[in-house]
Amino acid sequence: MAECGEISVMLGAFEDSELEPNEMQEVAFHLARCESCTGILADYSTLGRNLRSISVEPKLAGFSSAVIARVERLPQPAHIRIARFFRRQMDSLGAGLAWGGAVAAAAVLTIILMTPYAEQFARKGAGSGTSVADATHEAVPAPNQIASSSGNEPTMADNDSQAVISRLESPNRSVAVWSEPRRDTTVIWLPDQP
Amino acid sequence: MTLRPGSLAFLIIAIAALGTQGLCYAQAPTKQVYVYIDSVMAADTNEGTDPRLSPMDKKLRGLFGFSTYSLIGHIEGETSCGKMIAFALPGGKILHVQPRAIDNDMIAMEIVLFDGTRPMMTTDLKLKNNGTLIVGGPRYETGMMIISIGASTSGAQPGGTHSAMQAQVAGTPGESAAH
Repeated sequence: MAECGEISVMLGAFEDSELEPNEMQEVAFHLARCESCTGILADYSTLGRNLRSISVEPKLAGFSSAVIARVERLPQPAHIRIARFFRRQMDSLGAGLAWGGAVAAAAVLTIILMTPYAEQFARKGAGSGTSVADATHEAVPAPNQIASSSGNEPTMADNDSQAVISRLESPNRSVAVWSEPRRDTTVIWLPDQP
Repeated sequence: MTLRPGSLAFLIIAIAALGTQGLCYAQAPTKQVYVYIDSVMAADTNEGTDPRLSPMDKKLRGLFGFSTYSLIGHIEGETSCGKMIAFALPGGKILHVQPRAIDNDMIAMEIVLFDGTRPMMTTDLKLKNNGTLIVGGPRYETGMMIISIGASTSGAQPGGTHSAMQAQVAGTPGESAAH
């Protein structure tokens, strides 16, 4: 069994858990049987706690950023400054490309998912004639009773109409379709055949 | 600014999810569709416009050049997508309206107009919610018949005739029937 003289020099390190595993075991074994060394260890512990309680920790907020800023301000060789400049540019370019790719992918997905709307918009954009795209019979001018439109008003089905006609079938060959944008109304005219 | 791969994937998934959500909402099939039919006789007899048609007066005069407009029937009904509703109109006309889908603010529907049992017109169209389509031309008594077909998902009559009209005009009630 180790003597108190050998153990006492290791008590400080034991308290701080800085001994090798075999030394920790040896000190612990000795402490279990030696009241004197246990008392010394207790003194070390008390001393350590008291020292920690009275010490003032320095405020470190902003310390690291201040150090980095200080380092940044240090004069750098030209080739390092140039390399750093290009690295920043490449980072920005990479981020821009990534964002652009993301937006493009999102746009493609949206178009695919919203295809019915895309078709609707395409149909609208194709002009007034598409409102009666599949009309079976050729549209003819409306009868005399139909009020004539003023000069700048379209007389046939128009994009502003409240209706988009995709199919119109009638045995009546005189069927006519037109839209009155100001009234926001589409008219299907089916005059009685003679 | 840098974009991490995780953020990119999240962005794409979020936008795709939003798009899908919008599409599902647009195609929601359970909505009711309210259909309003006004039958008007138009003639050149200089009798003016029926007071019950005052909400439609400007529209009728803007669209047609007749001097007399008389309300001869008003009828309305409620149906849902895929379910046809039939209306018996004055002059032996029968109108079938079958909403197909509600696409954004448009109601896709098929309309078939019969003269008795003979089909006069079949049309597929998308009508703006609360919008009206006018079908005119068939001869009726001393003039011509103009049929205003309105559809709404909210139950509010689109640009319709006077509210008291329903009480004043004896219309045959709409009946739902499946083909």
